[in-house]
This record gives sequence, C-alpha cells and structure tokens, in this order.
Amino acid sequence: MRRRALVTTLLLSAGFGASAADDKSEAGKKALEQSCQLCHSLRLVESQRLSAAAWQKEVDKMIGWGTVVQDRQILVDYLSQHYSNTMPPAAPVMSANSE
Amino acid sequence: MKRVLHSRRAALAAFAATAAVARGMDASDQIVIPGKRSMIVHNDRPDDLETPIAHLNQWLTPVDCFFVRQHLPRPTVSEAGFELKLTGRVEKEMNVTLAQLRQLPQYTVPAVLECTGNGRAFFSPRVPGVQWGRGAMGNAEWTGPRLSDVLKLAGADLNTAYVTANGADMGLAKTPDFIRSLPMKKSLDPATLLALKMNGEPLPSLHGFPLRLIVPGWDGTSWVKWVNYLSVDQTPNTGFYMNPGYRFPKHPGAPGAPVNPSDLAVIEDMPVQSFITGHTDGAKVPVAALTLKGVAWAGESRVAQVEVSRDAGLTWQTAQLTGKDLPFTWRLWALAWRPPQPGYYTVLSRATDIRGRTQPLVPTWNPSGYLFNAVDRIGLSVEAGS
Repeated sequence: MRRRALVTTLLLSAGFGASAADDKSEAGKKALEQSCQLCHSLRLVESQRLSAAAWQKEVDKMIGWGTVVQDRQILVDYLSQHYSNTMPPAAPVMSANSE
Repeated sequence: MKRVLHSRRAALAAFAATAAVARGMDASDQIVIPGKRSMIVHNDRPDDLETPIAHLNQWLTPVDCFFVRQHLPRPTVSEAGFELKLTGRVEKEMNVTLAQLRQLPQYTVPAVLECTGNGRAFFSPRVPGVQWGRGAMGNAEWTGPRLSDVLKLAGADLNTAYVTANGADMGLAKTPDFIRSLPMKKSLDPATLLALKMNGEPLPSLHGFPLRLIVPGWDGTSWVKWVNYLSVDQTPNTGFYMNPGYRFPKHPGAPGAPVNPSDLAVIEDMPVQSFITGHTDGAKVPVAALTLKGVAWAGESRVAQVEVSRDAGLTWQTAQLTGKDLPFTWRLWALAWRPPQPGYYTVLSRATDIRGRTQPLVPTWNPSGYLFNAVDRIGLSVEAGS
C-alpha cells in the first residue's frame, strides 16, 4: 500500500513535471512565432544549431533590432533546447521548380 | 520625408505579418520561388537560396539557379519611377534615370559572385547566420556602365576616399539599413560596374533590379543590390553592415573564442578556393573511368594550380585547368581517374593562386563564419559493377 502510494506520487510528479515542461515548450514555441516572423521566416531560425550562450546573443541582437519579446528567457530556453549545437544539422529544405 | 518613411515601414511590417500568417497556414506545401529552379532554401522570407552543387559544374551559372542572399525585405522598384541619386563630394547633385545609364558606354564583365558567408555550415563550433554549404556562389556575365563613368556624370571628386552605396531595400522595425562603402580605388577600377544585366538578361528583382553594384574579386556583401543612392564621401559609412558586420579577424584566434572588435578588419578581396562540383558528397559510382571536376577562383588574383587527392591527402595529383582563363572568374578543373577497386574514397581539392596563396586544411574559424576556404572534401563510394 505504502509502495503503491509512493509509485503514485512518483508518477504524478513525473506527470506534473512533463506537463510543466510541455507548457514551457508551448510558451517558447509561441514566443518564437510571435517575435521572429515579422522580419524573416522561421526556417532561418530552425536551420541554426547554436549553444545557449550564442542563442542568448542572437535574441539580444534581434531585440536591439526592434523585435518585441515578452519573456526573453522562455524564448532563449526554447531555442537552446530545440536548435542546440549538440544536435545534428537541419535537413536541407528544397524549393520546387518554378517552371 | 521622414513621415513617408515611417508609414512605408509600417506598411511593410503589416505586409510581412500577413505573409507570415499565410505561410504558416500552408506549412505543408513546398515553397516555389518564381524564376528559380529547385534551390536549397535557408530562408524563404526574405529569400536566401543556395545553388545545388550540380549547377556549379559549368562556367556560367544560369540566372534561374543562381544563389540569392537578402538581408532585408525585397523592394519593388518600377522602371519608370527609378532614379539613382548622386550626392556627396560632387560638382552637382543629380538624379540619374535608367535611360541615362543605358546611354553610357556598356561593358560586360564575367565575374564570380560569392556570399561572404559561403561555407558557413562547415565551421566548428557552429556560428549564427545563414547556414550556407558550398553553393552561395556563382559565375555570371554582368553588363552595364562603369561606376567611374556614372560618378563622372555628377563631376564627383575622384580624390575622395569612398563611394557609399545604398539600395531601395529597408529594414523592418529597427533593423539597420544595408549600406556599404567602397574605397575609391576599387570604385574607379574599369571592371567595377553598375550592372543592368546578368547573363544578357535584365537583372531580375531577386538579383537587384534595376541596378546592382559589381565589385569583381570582392565579397558578395560589396555587391549592393537595387542601388538608388551613391554618395562620394571622405569617411566610410558607420552602419552595422560596415562595422561590426562583414569584418574578419586580423589574426586567427581560438575557435569559439570572442574577438575584440578592434581586431576585426573590413573584408575586401576574397581568398583562393576550390570546390568539387562534378560529384556530391556521398555519391555512389561504379568501378569505371570517371572525371573528377570542379571550380577554383582567387578573388582579384588568378588560379595557378589545382591539386586533387583521391586518398584523403596522402598523395596529390595536379588537375587540368580547363575553360576560359579570365580575371575575376573561376577556372574549371578536371582530373581523369579510374578507381582501382571498390571502396570508399575521400577526395580533396586544393587550389593555389599566382601569389602563392593556397587553401588551408582546416578553415580559419571566425565568429561570423566568413571566408570559408578550406580544402574541399567529398566522399565517393565506388561500387563493384553488377
């Protein structure tokens, strides 16, 4: 019984943890879509593979260039997690022939 | 004037926002770039398009697969409304029309145009910026009046230090305007043009219609597009794209280490380099006679030699230089080879120019990933015939 309670607690906390992470990731994705698309496509972001420090620098540069970022840390964390320099390069995207 | 600018910016911003939403809704569709064959898309708004390597396996690069680099939203310039403003240290300020530019003597200069960041994706540690592979370069024939003849129309003081060029493109929000200053010496070079045509066709909008600065041998950043303003100035422009943008360390530093801005210098001439264009990395070929092919160029200098290794650099053979031998363009090179047996072969190419400059084995790391010119490398899988 005690064991079951412990397992339930663990599962619950894991569940809460994942959901908090999901929420943060969702907020990060939203921040990316809201702050970065005025001047360029998201492809320019998604093709990068940078360290957290480098992402921070990029976000600050873009804030300097006038983009509005509600929560800088959420955006930097999202970029660092999803487009990290530890990940393999992005697969190339090809356009279709226009003729 | 200022109010007009602001409202135009606001209109651009509104347009970009609408475009973003529209693009988001169509995310599953493949992008089509009008006037272009299938290209490697690094950014589709504004367009940053890389040429697939197979199209570089020829002397002239067709316009419909020539790479595109844009910093800012592409402006729409109408032929009728176009004027080029000449100002600064000139006898009389003037606005020049396209008809006037066409009346000046026209020259055709073949020249390689290469993005300053070509090969950025090969730097380690990785650096921010468009992640170009090998294809942010091409060789085209550019036609138009000499920059020097245009400057003389307004009686420019040719002893002044710089010519500053601005195009019709503008940054959104507080993004800096793309403005470049070219030293007068290079401005007066007979090969420095204001091009109206590319490979004999009127310049397409993506390549700077109606007027593009052609600065043979120098990095692509100098080749300002949609030029509508030239100012003859004693000092260079101090905007982002002159400083700190498009600068290279005066001395190599540790990869990944920050570089002091005072240790950076403006990029001008390009280094010597070569690319293998006849095969792609990882290509499979049968055990049979084949020809390794590629291109080599050296900025303002000339290619003297291309060496090729089929064994990861243990031994090198001199390739044959083929095709036209003209300043500012690339040489084609070729080396016949019969792979001795099936297996994986690491093929390298290394060019040397007439000044004795050659390609390093390892790229010179720099914070913005400019001027990649390490020895090129592909792997070929040679397979037994069936």
